[in-house]
Amino acid sequence: MSYAQKAERRVERRRGWSLARRDALFGYLFISPQVLGFLVFVVGPIVAVFVFSLSERNLLTGQSTFVGLENYAWMFTADPVFRKVLVNSLVFTAGLVPLNIVLALVLALLLSRRRPGVTLFRTLFFAPVVTSAVAWAIVWRFMLQNESGTINQLLQLAGIDGPNWLREENWAMASVIVTRVLKNVGLNMIIYLAAIQGIPREYGDAARVDGANGWHVLRHVTIPMLAPTTLLITIITIVGSMQVFDHILLMTGGGPANATMVLVYYIYQQGFEFFATGYASSLSVILFIVTLGLTLAHWLLRGRER
Amino acid sequence: MSSLSANRRLGAVLWFASLLLLALPFVFPFWWMITSSLKSASEVFAFPPTILPETWQWRNFVDVFGYQPFARQYFNSLYIAALVTAGTILVSSLAGYAFARIRFPASSLIFLLLLSALMMPSEVTIVPNFFFMTFLGWVNTHIPLIVLPIFGANGVVGTFLMRQFFLSLPGEIEEAAMIDGLGRFGIFWRIALPIARPALGALAIISFLFSWNLFLEPLVFINDLELFTLPLALNNFTDNYGLPIWHLQLAATTLSVLPVLVVYIIAQRQVVESFAMSGVKG
Amino acid sequence: MRRIKAFLLTLALLLVTAGTALAQGETLRFSIWSGNQAHLDMLNGFAESFRETHPGVQVQLDVIPFADYVQKVTLQLAGGNPPDIGWLAEASAPTFIEAGVLADVSGALEGDSEYDFQDFSQSALGLWQQGDVLYGIPFSNSPLIVYYNADMFEAAGMETPDVLAERGEWTWEKFREVANATAEATPDGVYGYEQSDGEGYGSRVWIAITPMLRAFGSDAWNDQGECLLDSPESVEAMTLYHDMIFEDESIVPPGERADFFSGNSAITITQLSRTAQLQGAGFDWGIAPLPSGPAGQVAIVGQAALVVFKNAPNRDLAIEFAKHITSQENVATMAQFFPPARRSVLESDAFLQSNAIVSPEDMQIIADGIINGSVVPSHPNFPRIDASARPIFDQLWRPNADVGSVLGQVCDTISPLLASD
Repeated sequence: MSYAQKAERRVERRRGWSLARRDALFGYLFISPQVLGFLVFVVGPIVAVFVFSLSERNLLTGQSTFVGLENYAWMFTADPVFRKVLVNSLVFTAGLVPLNIVLALVLALLLSRRRPGVTLFRTLFFAPVVTSAVAWAIVWRFMLQNESGTINQLLQLAGIDGPNWLREENWAMASVIVTRVLKNVGLNMIIYLAAIQGIPREYGDAARVDGANGWHVLRHVTIPMLAPTTLLITIITIVGSMQVFDHILLMTGGGPANATMVLVYYIYQQGFEFFATGYASSLSVILFIVTLGLTLAHWLLRGRER
Repeated sequence: MSSLSANRRLGAVLWFASLLLLALPFVFPFWWMITSSLKSASEVFAFPPTILPETWQWRNFVDVFGYQPFARQYFNSLYIAALVTAGTILVSSLAGYAFARIRFPASSLIFLLLLSALMMPSEVTIVPNFFFMTFLGWVNTHIPLIVLPIFGANGVVGTFLMRQFFLSLPGEIEEAAMIDGLGRFGIFWRIALPIARPALGALAIISFLFSWNLFLEPLVFINDLELFTLPLALNNFTDNYGLPIWHLQLAATTLSVLPVLVVYIIAQRQVVESFAMSGVKG
Repeated sequence: MRRIKAFLLTLALLLVTAGTALAQGETLRFSIWSGNQAHLDMLNGFAESFRETHPGVQVQLDVIPFADYVQKVTLQLAGGNPPDIGWLAEASAPTFIEAGVLADVSGALEGDSEYDFQDFSQSALGLWQQGDVLYGIPFSNSPLIVYYNADMFEAAGMETPDVLAERGEWTWEKFREVANATAEATPDGVYGYEQSDGEGYGSRVWIAITPMLRAFGSDAWNDQGECLLDSPESVEAMTLYHDMIFEDESIVPPGERADFFSGNSAITITQLSRTAQLQGAGFDWGIAPLPSGPAGQVAIVGQAALVVFKNAPNRDLAIEFAKHITSQENVATMAQFFPPARRSVLESDAFLQSNAIVSPEDMQIIADGIINGSVVPSHPNFPRIDASARPIFDQLWRPNADVGSVLGQVCDTISPLLASD
């Protein structure tokens, strides 16, 4: 018997309670604040959202009437905005994720060289990540104004007539995507950086000895070795893109003509601007299901790697 | 030989140039924010745009405080973020330690359930939470802004982080302590926590920024100007018609961003590593 | 000895805090949508005179921009944190009344002979009364009027709207002509016409289009809950409007700002209360009635009332304050900005003289507008109608919009909301 096990037995005999019992007590005690809070403020509301989605609750009158699955029926068959919202959410995610990942990879590769100035640039690219989303959106909204915005003014100096970035439907979506990517790409960049720096130099060196140039090393060694990281970042970024609300609220207010209205924003609008909290709850259920699905996918993919 | 080093120099120049170009859209907004906040209301829209203000309107920064109770709002954000950080550290380190170092039934299952909150956007639960807070009488107070991050997604991230860290500790420390007669809480408080300082630092940074940048919850729960947090306050520099008073709004934004930026630049390695720790998520 | 000292100290502290609490008195929260200093000064003046009969009462003015007003107040009500008293616009009156969140103020008003409730005109009370119950005290019965920048008209060589109106030539076609001429005679960034408060594509869109719709014989919707936006007359009116924005480019386009009161537009159509912004204006200005159309001369009136919220913390005190603000004396003071609902004030000479910078002749235009005017459209479902219509209107504010088709879509969307009651 090891010294530790003997010590355990001694402690047990002294206290009279088995270590296992005491551990269980302390275990539950220690996790109780987190778990209880989680139950009250997360699980409870999620259950409530399901319940609320079955009724029509008006925020102003405070009355609620049970309507069964009517909210869902309306959502899928009769709500023209919902279809647009789903498409917008898809477009937003499909636009944001590839742009973000590619840019993050490019930046990480550039910064993986040991050259003077690397730290400075890394600091610059990461700065928007620590800035508040409100501040970032306010400054970009200012710069993207039509006549008097900085971007269009600069373009005019070059003789180009810039579009109304935030008020023309397609440009609005593009502007929102690009500015959001700029805000968060630094995060993915440093994850890639850590992964790149974890690739043993031998692989690249061996390839070079065999005559491969920089591009070949990149395509056939580095990027394949980064595949697990890429997978992770992709899922995290997809899920993150589905949660973007304040950025869009502040830049375009969901417009023009609902062109940038995504699901998360639609929930807020239905609940707190239209006061249809029952319908907002049913939309929340949809968002919950989608997010859960993606989380499970993430979990499965990660599990498979282990 | 010379062509190789010439190639290398060309490569270095290209490298630097492309980084410079790429860095523009990241840096320019900060530059423009700071310089615009020093311009007068009309110069802000001057064409052609001026790189530096013609006259440096320092009074914009003074006017910001006169427009609404900005100092109070700044303080609100600060103390709420401090409370959230302290609370998250306490709750998460306790839970993280337990999940990592204490064996108790169903601990893995419970932990997995907790993780499900990580990806859940707060918009999913905001409607019921609004009714719940109304019921508790906590609407138009700061309590939801403190409590929700500590126990919600931010807290779970913290628990995850701390569990990761504590898992990496060798087991002998606790065994020795137990022999010395320290109970579980004593071990946690006197031994585990002091060792965990790097992880706690990371958690503090992440929690502070999370609370500092919250927008949806204050938007929904706070009515009174005096109780606004910075994100709400920034959005409120509007004229009677609801349109932004740009030079004031940008000045206020500068005031809110600069301190964070300065701290970030000073401690940037630790900040970046904190996010890397949470981002990689084991 | 120490315990006695401690006890006395605690007692003293308690007395001091209780004393200050008593001395402070109650605070009434009063939500309004105007942040204009002249308006605020006037309301604070009423608060001060209220303190003569109700010492220690503080009035806290909560300014919420018009575009967010209904939403913010609703959130406050839903969150159990209602204001005591507030302004409410005509468009949302049915919504709030039906929701049952407004207190009945009739009891406090009707018995009082000095207050003289009979003095209030029926047309002003209409929206706020249901049988014996009174949900709000109207304080503003304000027609939409044309403000024009006389200097710009002179520069463009155009006759001013009031002169044209006297000759009966002030039509929407003429409006188009003068807007175009003034826009062309002025530099880029200065326009012929700016909609009310610059919110013509946002929260004031109904104020922007109703004058035209009614002048052409149509409306947004009728009393039977039928949407009229897709009628031929509406399409005609809105096509004219659209052409002015995108062909003539004489109207401030979406996303731009050209504030009339800063001298950046030749015309704006809004209400009397905005004269507060003309103090020290750097240009010559005047007032004219709305342009007429195929259906003749129309006057459109916007109404607002003081409402007290049923669950207000200081409800009875708030009702007293509302009564105070709408006393005959104070209504006469408000008349310079808010045309009164009290007949005695409206019909007095004092009314015509009440505004320091508006001539009695021009004030007569206001008075005429009230007598002949129809109220801006309202509906119990207005917040949702407004919120669902506006994104569709957005499609109209584009150069190549198919006006008829977009208006048809608006009607498709809001008809179910108009019908449900």
